[in-house]
Amino acid sequence: MIKIIECLKKNQRVDEYKINLTQKESYQLFFVKGKLETTRRTNTCDKEVTVYVKHGEFKGDSSFIVYPSTTEGELDNLIETAVEKALLIENQSYELPEAGEGEYQVESNFSNYSLNEIAGIVANTVFKAEAEEGTALNSVEVFVNRNTITVANSLGVNKTQIKYSAMVEAIPTYNGKEESVELYQQYNFSTLDEAVITAEIEEKLREVKARYEAKKPENEITGSVILNKLELSELFSTLAYDLGYYRVYAKSNVYSKGDMLQKDLTGDAITITMKGEAEGNIASAKFDGDGMNLTDIKIIDEGKVINYFGSNRFGQYLGEKPTGSLGCLIVEPGTACPKCLSKAPYLEVVSMSGLQVDAYNDYIGGEVRLAYYNDGTTITPVTGISITGKLSEVLGNIRLAKEVAVHDRYIGPKKAILSGMKIF
Amino acid sequence: MGFSKYLDSKRAEIKQLVAELKKNYQYVSVLGVDIKATDIQVDSNTSNIDPGSDMECGFVIKMSNGREFYEYSLDDISGDIPALAKNITESLKLEDSLKANTIDEVILTDEPLVKSFVREGDFEKYTDKELLEFCKETCKTLAGKSEHILNAMVRLGKMEVSKLFISENRELDQNYTWASGILVAIYNENEKTIQSFESEGDPTLAAVLEKLPGKMDKLVKKAHMLTLAKPIEPGIYDVITAPSITGLIAHEAFGHGVEMDQFVKDRALAKKYVGDYVASPICNMRDGAASTLSVASYFFDDDGVLASDTQIIKDGILVTGLSDLASATQLGTAPTGNGRRESTRRKAYARMTNTFFEKGTDKLEDMIKSIDHGYMLFETNNGMEDPKNWAIQCVAEYGIEIVDGKLTDNWVSPVVMSGYVPDLLKSISMVSDDFEISGLGHCGKGYKEWVRVSDGGPALKVKVKLG
Repeated sequence: MIKIIECLKKNQRVDEYKINLTQKESYQLFFVKGKLETTRRTNTCDKEVTVYVKHGEFKGDSSFIVYPSTTEGELDNLIETAVEKALLIENQSYELPEAGEGEYQVESNFSNYSLNEIAGIVANTVFKAEAEEGTALNSVEVFVNRNTITVANSLGVNKTQIKYSAMVEAIPTYNGKEESVELYQQYNFSTLDEAVITAEIEEKLREVKARYEAKKPENEITGSVILNKLELSELFSTLAYDLGYYRVYAKSNVYSKGDMLQKDLTGDAITITMKGEAEGNIASAKFDGDGMNLTDIKIIDEGKVINYFGSNRFGQYLGEKPTGSLGCLIVEPGTACPKCLSKAPYLEVVSMSGLQVDAYNDYIGGEVRLAYYNDGTTITPVTGISITGKLSEVLGNIRLAKEVAVHDRYIGPKKAILSGMKIF
Repeated sequence: MGFSKYLDSKRAEIKQLVAELKKNYQYVSVLGVDIKATDIQVDSNTSNIDPGSDMECGFVIKMSNGREFYEYSLDDISGDIPALAKNITESLKLEDSLKANTIDEVILTDEPLVKSFVREGDFEKYTDKELLEFCKETCKTLAGKSEHILNAMVRLGKMEVSKLFISENRELDQNYTWASGILVAIYNENEKTIQSFESEGDPTLAAVLEKLPGKMDKLVKKAHMLTLAKPIEPGIYDVITAPSITGLIAHEAFGHGVEMDQFVKDRALAKKYVGDYVASPICNMRDGAASTLSVASYFFDDDGVLASDTQIIKDGILVTGLSDLASATQLGTAPTGNGRRESTRRKAYARMTNTFFEKGTDKLEDMIKSIDHGYMLFETNNGMEDPKNWAIQCVAEYGIEIVDGKLTDNWVSPVVMSGYVPDLLKSISMVSDDFEISGLGHCGKGYKEWVRVSDGGPALKVKVKLG
């Protein structure tokens, strides 16, 4: 980085600069039907340089990538070319984040182990999960990553953070007499908790047996729809990311400050806070790609949009205080107790092809791969059905569970009850 | 322009590394990738010239000891090569518990071949300044098309791919280009905001720059109609699929299910159906980097296997699937040139390239005339595969109602098409005599490993559940 900074300082036409370095180390294991097929290791470094040039009332910028093979002479040329490009860019001026130094580690217990040790522990834990008779894991992939991220700029920012993450993709399969069925699971985490991994896999192994037993309902079924954490993460992400500074500046947002998302509210009011860090959340970070410190902000309060959030540049364009790019999505739990969640008739969704949430068209729905239907007397696993509804209506009647769950960047109600959706 | 000088300069060091690693492994290959990519984007308020998302320069080494595989990704191959080889070998050593539980014997073949491939582009004819001016001018024109446009966006992408594959017996290199353009309108009318787009792709910038502006009027008309679109009444309908949706069906309904690494894992129901009817007898489907010229057209794959043109379904019968080197070797079949990586930092899997249904003999107007009540579906939004159980979900941006054999002005959006793959494919009753393929999107395997793909075909008449 020193060589890059020297070259940048040498060029008189560079007004400001930013350097983003990400050292990526990864260890990966791939299993096929329980046997190790491939072992991978990566050891790479991304180096991106952005130059800023003030011209007239504008501030132009342009970025380029620096490779290990890039010589000092080539670096000088890259900088000069970037300056020429930045002079073509006529963007409204804004200020870069100022002075701030520090070395951080985002909370994780991964740092107690080497990457291959963690991968080995995770793999063993996955395969230790107690399988129902006839179930197996046909494919398991384990990724363990250690990213060392540095942001430096010409105004004195020089920050480094170490972030750990892991991903397990597991394909639980049930081999029955008549056919074989599977479910898909991708589980991301940044804290090693063997009990949680085992519980996640065991739950999926139980569910895949249910998928084998599931039938397409012969008659039309009706009732409320219960969504779980994965689908709720998708639903609330759609609401939250609509309120990002860039979306608002580009006028592509559907919701605006002051809007009530829950008209004719009969359910629980929705409150969403975007945070920089949260325990167990894989999006946790100490600063963003501009080197901005992260400021938590409540964006939806009791169903009302009260704030936007986002990066330095677009925050300034909107005349808002930049919060930094916040990744952790925190939704406050509601009032639905386990008894409320088991009030029949209901369809509890276990697995979907992907919940479709379209705020532009006021739509929510999708194909259900596995669900449990409780008609008041029996609970039956069902498949081959779809759900569809109006997003605005669903938001008005949604009942959020008291119990909280974590899924990737989402921390919020474990389940929610939606009324007025068509099951077909 | 032309093949990467950097990769060219690395041939001797790569060969030395292969020779060093061969002392410990039965098979060793190195893939070097140098992709130069630029994205130029202009909207009503901002503009950018930045490195494209496909940009990368790096290497991945693949090794096998006759059983399990090993891979190592790194930025550069230089310096003390024997020491590098030793470091790679040491860093991939397995713990005893893993070593005792590996897959059975797999001997990768390494047939001799030395060849260079080039597909000429025209990127050197245009400066970034000229491309930025094109974007600014087009954006201004688009924004001026309607008072309802809140924001207009124009994006041009260009990428020049250089790949070098070296093993003990093979030395292949390829160089080709791909350019793309997209128009986006954020549009508000009838108390509704929508986002709509049109796109163009070609190996040359000249074609993209020529064709993209001609799509503005269509985009604005579409945006207006989308603000009037209503939700569809859920049900089972006669449907005509426009080429984009035909391609989505080919891709999601069947393409993922014939990726043969899924056969190895017993994750694909299609494995049991090779040689059987899986679709209507008028249905023919292909995939291949050499099947047509689009965004996923290359000369050899990331395993160093030459590109091919694979007939997946012939007259309704499943013929074969798509394989990478590892899955083909494990299954005892010939690799089809479908081994693809998201980047040198990711594993190679069996992946689709350009996937499509072949054209038929019906006229589109006759197909529409044959429907009393149904929908014609347009534009891919997204889809999700289910190779083991053959459930599908394909999401179209919009549909237009057909009543008494005529397209109406009644638009619906979005439209989620779902059901059981064989039911859908066997319901194909008419296939149009035209053909279109587009390659704007990326395809994931599960929810990761994103690669550029194209898909398309003719219009199909099917019966399917919409909601």
